[in-house]
Amino acid sequence: MRRTARTVAIAGISAVALLATACGGDSDDTTATDGNETTAAEGAAGGEIVVDGCTPENPLVAGNTSETCGGDVLEMITARLVNYNADDASPENDIAESIETEDNQTFTVKIKQGYMFQDGTEVKAQNFVDAWNYTAFGPNGQTGSYFMSPIEGFAEVNAEGSTVEELSGLEVVDDYTFTIRTSEPVSNLPVRLGYTAFAPQPDAFFEDPESFGKAPIGAGPYQVTEYNDGQSIVVEKFADYSGDFGGQVDKITFRIYQDQDAAYNDLLAGQIDVIRTIPQSALIDDKYQSDLGDRNTQRETGRFNYVGINTVVSTDLADPAIRKAISMAIDRETINEQIFNNSYTPATGWVSPVVDGYQENACGEFCTYDPEAAKAMLDEAGGYDGELTLSYNGDGDHKAWTEATCNSISQALDISCTATPVVDFATFLTQLGNGEMTGMWRLGWVMDYPSIENFLAPIYAEGADSNYFGPYVNEEFESLLTQAAAAPSLDEANALYQQAELLLAEDMVAIPMYYPKTTIGWSEKVNPVTITAFGRPDLASVTLAQ
Amino acid sequence: MTEQAIVETAHSSDANPVGEARSLGADARRALARNPLFWISATMIFIFVLMAIWPSLFTNTDPTEAVLSQARERPNSEAWFGRDIQGYDIYARVIYGARASILVGVFTTLFTTTIGAALGITAAYFGGWTDSLISRVTDIFFAIPLLLGAILFMSAFPSSNDPYFVVVFKVVAAISLLGWPALTRLMRSSVMQVLPNDYVQAARALGASPWRIIRSHVIPNSLGPIIVVATINLGAYIALEATLSFLGIGLQPPVISWGVSINDAIVGLRTTPHMLFFPSLFLSLTVLAFIMLGDAVRDAYDPKTR
Repeated sequence: MRRTARTVAIAGISAVALLATACGGDSDDTTATDGNETTAAEGAAGGEIVVDGCTPENPLVAGNTSETCGGDVLEMITARLVNYNADDASPENDIAESIETEDNQTFTVKIKQGYMFQDGTEVKAQNFVDAWNYTAFGPNGQTGSYFMSPIEGFAEVNAEGSTVEELSGLEVVDDYTFTIRTSEPVSNLPVRLGYTAFAPQPDAFFEDPESFGKAPIGAGPYQVTEYNDGQSIVVEKFADYSGDFGGQVDKITFRIYQDQDAAYNDLLAGQIDVIRTIPQSALIDDKYQSDLGDRNTQRETGRFNYVGINTVVSTDLADPAIRKAISMAIDRETINEQIFNNSYTPATGWVSPVVDGYQENACGEFCTYDPEAAKAMLDEAGGYDGELTLSYNGDGDHKAWTEATCNSISQALDISCTATPVVDFATFLTQLGNGEMTGMWRLGWVMDYPSIENFLAPIYAEGADSNYFGPYVNEEFESLLTQAAAAPSLDEANALYQQAELLLAEDMVAIPMYYPKTTIGWSEKVNPVTITAFGRPDLASVTLAQ
Repeated sequence: MTEQAIVETAHSSDANPVGEARSLGADARRALARNPLFWISATMIFIFVLMAIWPSLFTNTDPTEAVLSQARERPNSEAWFGRDIQGYDIYARVIYGARASILVGVFTTLFTTTIGAALGITAAYFGGWTDSLISRVTDIFFAIPLLLGAILFMSAFPSSNDPYFVVVFKVVAAISLLGWPALTRLMRSSVMQVLPNDYVQAARALGASPWRIIRSHVIPNSLGPIIVVATINLGAYIALEATLSFLGIGLQPPVISWGVSINDAIVGLRTTPHMLFFPSLFLSLTVLAFIMLGDAVRDAYDPKTR
């Protein structure tokens, strides 16, 4: 359930997938001890880097972190059942030895023996089950509880003031085996298990969850050694890391910035080594490319921006033809070129191109700018009287593009459109949730796990958390989702999900806007950095130059 | 005619003793007319006010017409000041932006001066517990920094979808609410200087009502300083409005204002500074014009600096 507050800060989850194979091959990491200066040729492991970070919303507890600030750090310090590949986000077993199911409803998870937590205890099946129960338990108020919702017994455990502390769907078989039973068939459950909310917690966590948040213990390749509130979080390599996805440098400092421009200036001054995003000011006229030379890269990531309409509140926009006309009146190409400096990709559907199951051009002509056709379509649908508004959260960087979008709509359809700020993201979501938001509104989505399902079910399904469209209810859509979830193979599931996506085009529930790309930059001190499919710099694979 | 007498004696030591008897006001007007600074600032203010009242006199371009494909264009023959990030014509935006800034400046000055002067006179004239009460309340308001208070006010009453004048008056209210204490203090001390004068005592002895004394003796003789400070403040208020708009909590689109334009242009500081330059230039010139006028008025009203 990740919605982006701002386009610059990549919200969400995800895996800085730890470096798997490529650099592991030339492993001279025998020389890399204690961060000593490595004089070996390029690509040597060891040393330390500074990267930009932001203040975690909550203490560093995997089940209670659903934003990138804390998520960035947790990615480095936790190990999960599966690890997402940095290149294509495909899941690879990490702690899991195997995850097996016959009916997509009962899953048997076997975990590797001898996988160690950073406090020296072993990762056992009980650590997973306890952690998930803790996250799901309503009175604990964990923000990651939503991820436990497919598991049987969730509704009961998650209820406010619940007294049932254990999910009936989780059962420990022995130290290294446990079973998951879901309330409905979920064909992609194994894919989801790589999200940080599903990380195991050591026994130490349950003894004192309060202080754990400042000095978390995971089973990942790095461990937190310093946590200076509002200033920095330092992680160092965990010497006894048991997995296959270890890091290269010995020490990574997340220096906390309030302002992306400040981080960028520090990068130019050589004060930090990697930044997660290039600020708008440096994107203009590709300034960053002349500033950084070839020390930057861009990649499409699992994000999706859209404009939504609550058709129950805004009844004058209830006709899909009007929404299609509005969609066709938006000049996505020019806005991308002029406002985003080509750092986005105009959307052609509702699912990001980076995930498994993406189909091209699901939106078709309705996402292509055609002012004449748009006007004709609007007139045919009876026109639109009155003022159109496009609301955005004022604390994010949305003013420029929403205003440009409104201008595009006004010019093509000859209706007045104003971009309207709402004071902050929390208020914005409250208004959406209460169904108070009239007119159009913007929202972004960052995938939780790399699946087409994650772009459909949590947003448009009946009763879904982010279904702010009135809600949107379509029987056919619902039945396709149910069939897909129970489909015997991933391919068959994806085909059904694709059919469901086409229904969204028919109803134009949300107006697709962009697939944001991620642009990062790095200093001269490090070798080229790559971006994971989740839109993070792949910190684990960063190596020092020279 | 005690007032006349005292003014005359006060001015008998002037550098220019020849000529008929003149009041302080008449004297100040003469001094102003001779001051080039006054004429320069007055001309600039005249132009800006004309811009605010009648923007179409200066440009035929619609400030809300966005040509996105030409966004961030440098100044050229078609768009004199270039285009901003949305593709709006910066020249047209700057001209139309004058209205909001000047409205805020003028109305805030009007409100703060009225409230400040009224309270200052009351406090000084009646003295006693009235004075203590007003002075303490003034101190309380004085303790809250103007910008901080305005930010709090604007965040508490965010404007969205309000009509033009409501948005503008919200900003006026935010600044006025905390802008008056300085003027109250000034007026109070100014009136206290006037009160012991013989002509006031004489009027009192003749049985004039407090209102009459204040109206015909105190106000005309104590208004000088507050006019000066108010004129200088007017420039400062315009700058404050721009600050609030820059922070995103002052005037909101669709209101066009210099502060909003500057805020929108800040991303281009390193790449397309012309978007920032022109609204900033107009803002600076307006503030400068009012402060210069204030300076000239001060020189005119203060015989010692002549």
